[in-house]
Amino acid sequence: MARDKENNRVLLNVSAQTSDNSWVLSSLEHDQLVRAKKHHIPRRRLKGAELVVLWGLRIYLFFMMAVVFYQIWTAAR
Amino acid sequence: MSVGSQPPQTDSVFTAETVVITHEDVDRAHDRVRVSAARARRGFFSNARLLWLLVGPGVLVMLGENDGPSMLSYAATGAKFGVGFFIPFVILTFCMAIVVQEMTVRLGAATHRGHAELIFDRFGPFWGWFSMIDLAIGNFLTLITEFIAIRAGLGFFGVPPWLAVLIALAILYAALMSHRYWTWERITLAAAAFNLVFIPVALMTHPHWHAVGRSLITWQPLPGFNKDTLLIVLADIGATVTPWMLFFQQSATVDKGLTTKDIRFGRIDTVLGAALATAAAVATILATAPLFAHQMTAGNFQAGEFAEALQPLIGRFGASLFALGMVEAGIVASITISTSSAYAFGEVTHKPHSLNLPMGQGKSFYSVLTLCAVAAAAIVLIPGLPLVYVVLLVNVVAVLAMPPALVFLFMLVNDKEIMGDLVSPAWANVLSTGVVLVLTLAGVLFGISVIAPNVFAVLGGK
Repeated sequence: MARDKENNRVLLNVSAQTSDNSWVLSSLEHDQLVRAKKHHIPRRRLKGAELVVLWGLRIYLFFMMAVVFYQIWTAAR
Repeated sequence: MSVGSQPPQTDSVFTAETVVITHEDVDRAHDRVRVSAARARRGFFSNARLLWLLVGPGVLVMLGENDGPSMLSYAATGAKFGVGFFIPFVILTFCMAIVVQEMTVRLGAATHRGHAELIFDRFGPFWGWFSMIDLAIGNFLTLITEFIAIRAGLGFFGVPPWLAVLIALAILYAALMSHRYWTWERITLAAAAFNLVFIPVALMTHPHWHAVGRSLITWQPLPGFNKDTLLIVLADIGATVTPWMLFFQQSATVDKGLTTKDIRFGRIDTVLGAALATAAAVATILATAPLFAHQMTAGNFQAGEFAEALQPLIGRFGASLFALGMVEAGIVASITISTSSAYAFGEVTHKPHSLNLPMGQGKSFYSVLTLCAVAAAAIVLIPGLPLVYVVLLVNVVAVLAMPPALVFLFMLVNDKEIMGDLVSPAWANVLSTGVVLVLTLAGVLFGISVIAPNVFAVLGGK
């Protein structure tokens, strides 16, 4: 509750407003609720080939950004 | 989370007796009730209403990407090369954009999570921060160019830079004032419709339709193979596929509340957006093609300069429309790009992130959105900064940053644990792999053209 207050969210009183809650719940899929999104999706383990591709593209990007800066530098001169 | 096309799982946490319902949930539920009501009916008008209700993220992302630097790229393309190879080429780049953006619709509808959030959760913060830094740098550079376009476009009408920037910020703020995704989306869509203003401008130039038809069939005449051509090729690719589009459309799909039942309409939305954006892009090339015919050196023109150059050919009214189109392109993109930054920030920091949030509940979301826009606008007003380089290279930077972003998307959309039955089919994987390879090759060629320009001379270019 304290956390909910901290997030300035509205906790509807259940016994008094069950019907109000119900139309929201029936309109949205359960994992569309803000509350459901607090649950993290489990992390997956990257395979060797995937890591090679990711690192390869990261190095490619670093290198190409250096090229872009070089081009700006030469154009500015 | 729901997995793919499986129905949502019943969880005892989410019963009416225990669940915490937020303002954001209630607003989204209102939108979903209207969608359910439209879906329950049969007939043409019900389908049309369903399309009206579900259209949005796809059209916004495509017309949003027809932004200041993109329209300048298309204008420079027409002015430098006229009608020819680049007309079918631009259409092809939008086909690439459809392939890529459709994946974000599926991801958003299946997982109800934003793109940044999924990357962080599935691949961990190490890779997550890499992709966030790419996004933040790309978005900020692009935002600067949007305000340059706005300043230059309004400058055509004699509006001073400070006032031009203030007008743009006021429109951005006005769109946010409703604190309702639906209203924000409709206001931004209405503004984005003005992107089509380039079509009447093109018609005023009386294009040679025979040459246009011939270029569509034969891709002729081909441009010379040199550094300038390559820069325009990269700029035109960067004008249609950029990292912010992935983050924006997925987050907007989630914020709009689309589910797996809506994917078909999400695809229609994306294709419709691409068709409209293609029409505006081709129109811009056609509008400036007469400058090529009149042998004008217009490669490095800014928005206002293009309008001035076109004025003797299409009159004051046509030139004004062109300048207004540039302003619109900058404004809509500044709204969508700053929103994509705010979505990503919220997803990564787990702060509330929705356009359905009241100001009090979404302080961090609205603060990031506003700060991004204000900072970019302020930079444009600093006198003496060499902003021309940013404009010329921002689309190139987007192309370079795209392959790493696409690989994350590719891995997520093929992740059976989160996508279930909605993983990409083999043909979609072949197409998206092709897009990654084309973008990487374009980047490599650009690198060669800068580091070893003589290689191009050996290959027959200049």
